[in-house]
Amino acid sequence: MASLKAECRRSNVGHCDPKPARVSFEEWLELFDRIPDELIERYHYFGNGEAWSKYLFPPQTFAIYGARHLRRLKFDNSLAALRMWGFVQNETERLFRARQTGRRVIATMGDLGAVPVIVNSFPDCVAFYPDCIWWTPFVMESRVLFDAAAELGVGDATCFSRAALGAFSKHSYFPDPDLVIASTGASCDDYSGVEQLAERFAREMLWVEMPMRCGMGPTEPMGHMLVKEYERVVETMARLTGHKLTEDELRDGIRRANAVRKTVARLRELAYGSGVVAALEMMVVEFGNLHYYSDIGEWTAVLQHLLAIAEERAAKGDRVLDEDALRVVWVTPPADPLLLTYVEDAGARVVGTEYVINQALEVIDESKPGLEAIAESFMAASLIGTSRARAESVMKQARQRRAEGVIISGILGGSHCAMETRLISGIVRQELGLPVLEFDVAPPSNEIGRQLQTRIDAFLEVLRSRR
Amino acid sequence: MKDLLTPRERFGLFVIDEPQDRVPIFPLVTAHAARVAGIPVRAYYTDGAAMARSQLVAQETYGVDFISFFSEVGLVAEALGSQFDYPDDDLPLLTRPKWTDVTQMDGRVVDPARDGRLRVYLEAVTYAYEARGDTVPILAYVPAPFTTAQQLVDQEAFLLGLLTDPEHVHDLLAYATRSIVRFCRAIIGAGGLPILVDPLASGSVISAEHYRQFALPSEAAVIRYLHRYDLDVVLHICGDTRSTITTMTETGADLLSIDRIEMADAIAGAGETCRIIGNYDTSAILLSEPSAVESAVAEMVTAGRKCPKGFVAATGCEVPVDTPPENVRAFVRAARQAGSNPDYGRRRTV
Repeated sequence: MASLKAECRRSNVGHCDPKPARVSFEEWLELFDRIPDELIERYHYFGNGEAWSKYLFPPQTFAIYGARHLRRLKFDNSLAALRMWGFVQNETERLFRARQTGRRVIATMGDLGAVPVIVNSFPDCVAFYPDCIWWTPFVMESRVLFDAAAELGVGDATCFSRAALGAFSKHSYFPDPDLVIASTGASCDDYSGVEQLAERFAREMLWVEMPMRCGMGPTEPMGHMLVKEYERVVETMARLTGHKLTEDELRDGIRRANAVRKTVARLRELAYGSGVVAALEMMVVEFGNLHYYSDIGEWTAVLQHLLAIAEERAAKGDRVLDEDALRVVWVTPPADPLLLTYVEDAGARVVGTEYVINQALEVIDESKPGLEAIAESFMAASLIGTSRARAESVMKQARQRRAEGVIISGILGGSHCAMETRLISGIVRQELGLPVLEFDVAPPSNEIGRQLQTRIDAFLEVLRSRR
Repeated sequence: MKDLLTPRERFGLFVIDEPQDRVPIFPLVTAHAARVAGIPVRAYYTDGAAMARSQLVAQETYGVDFISFFSEVGLVAEALGSQFDYPDDDLPLLTRPKWTDVTQMDGRVVDPARDGRLRVYLEAVTYAYEARGDTVPILAYVPAPFTTAQQLVDQEAFLLGLLTDPEHVHDLLAYATRSIVRFCRAIIGAGGLPILVDPLASGSVISAEHYRQFALPSEAAVIRYLHRYDLDVVLHICGDTRSTITTMTETGADLLSIDRIEMADAIAGAGETCRIIGNYDTSAILLSEPSAVESAVAEMVTAGRKCPKGFVAATGCEVPVDTPPENVRAFVRAARQAGSNPDYGRRRTV
């Protein structure tokens, strides 16, 4: 306990956090008044001291630059969380700064977690997922990117990930990538379509095939195929950068990725087990495993800071959510983050997630040759297997955390949702006897629709009545 | 021609030194928005919703890149106790400053939710942000301490105080700064980007020495506060800034909004460290023919684009209330044409 406290104090560099809580946008303005200038000056991305690389700023800063939804969310009130939000919200600028400072910017698409491990092993290369732009219309409460995608032929009947296409066409959400590595195959059909249309904006596009993981049988042949695909990634990157990647460099890259994955695994354990970090922050944390918000070194430090706080809270029994809150597992990431805030405000807490990014959560085997190990970890991918496999993952977490219900937030037009939601729901109901709430996330708005509010409220009431 | 970028996207690129599809366009349409919306000027500055709606209409009508809230520089002084007259169809006029000399002082700090018309601005920012904050930056002009002080104290006494009682002048500036910072904080909370406006610190009013001694430190104090939030800070000083343009960069401002100075001189004096906003003559936009506005604005934009840190096509000061709308349209048309960037979006590599 004493060492945890010391670690927490060290991470917080003398700053004293208030009693752990979820606070409103307005409350963060009050809290930010207490942040001394020295702390704001302390944190920089890309490990440099330039004024532009500072990122410890409150939600208000990002709201002024268009992130309107932040005004409606609830945030963890720790310095670590403030740091995390500042770092994440700053990513667009960071990508442009990467280019300005001579780094190569590589867009990776579709596979959600594996290819950036390879890309980041090359010196001065920054990988990012345009896929993650799907949150932008919600965070800005805006149709701008959807309208831009529509002008390119992808309309409202397609997954929200179409926002990525709009972003490519604008050239203002990330610098035009030096290379786009697009994964396709056994994945989301909609996003494969988005990738194809994005090709017209790419200087160079490398297509990578993702294999189908059939049933529970042996995965070696698929793994072998993936290794061949990753070898093409390495070759293309080598040609682009003029750098021949060594096995040691790749191992270093894997080690760095694993440091993040292990930290996130522990944070999941603490947050979902003890309620010491709320679901909104945890969604941000989990998705950091995809491409580390474009600076793996600083993201690792941000996570370690957050982990120190979470460990101390767990040791002291300080929660940000009621111990007695209704326990739910959340399936498929909600494009609208306000849903997580709403559900927690209504008296529930998330105790497990299946955000279709299992492949990014798995620790990569460091004893094996690099590409083989990455391929093997990718075999855990949510979307390349059966719906049964996803349901098993949901049920495993539900059993472990004694979940009382499951929420599946679908994506209108998302092909895998249309096919999977009902199947997963049926399996969970049948085998665990748990109530399941399924809904499609509505387009960007400044509130959760009344009908959906009622459905969530009623669902939580059912869970309460079953106690 | 339809723009590729929204004003918000364009501004986002602008402030991180990235090329845009065209230069941002910002004729300082403030109370002129009341004319565009067809409401009395008094309604514009006393009713937040009316102010916001006017600005929204004006932004859409002209296709400018910002929504900017401003009526007059006495705003904070009024909230602190100076008295104003409010004509039906004109801007507020200072009738009685709070104090007669610089030695008078109290401990007051404004409450933006209650005092004077500060809440009118906050309501306007909130309204406009909710309506169009995803696509257009929402700016709110905040009078700087030096200008505010001259609305708190009899102006002649204040200017005399610069010579005879600098200590009390500094105290007064610190007093104004506290309220200005409080107001800025409220604007930030509402989703607006504060712009610091200090017209009474121009070379038309004070010397370069007095600017450095009095106005600059208090501007810098507010800018330091805004930089805590990583905001890109505009410092607007209309009038003659030929003698202070380089000194103005020492405030830490990220963008300088200028008026009566040659564009080339402004760029030479500040363009390596600050983005320049300016500076079409406001008398000309009021009185010229549209064709004359067009050719002069095209010339200005061509000159302004040479600024290494970036350029916003603007007027030197507020667009006069009774400016013919066709002149503002001519301004925008010319700035779009002369400021377009045909290379935007072409593939760039390391």
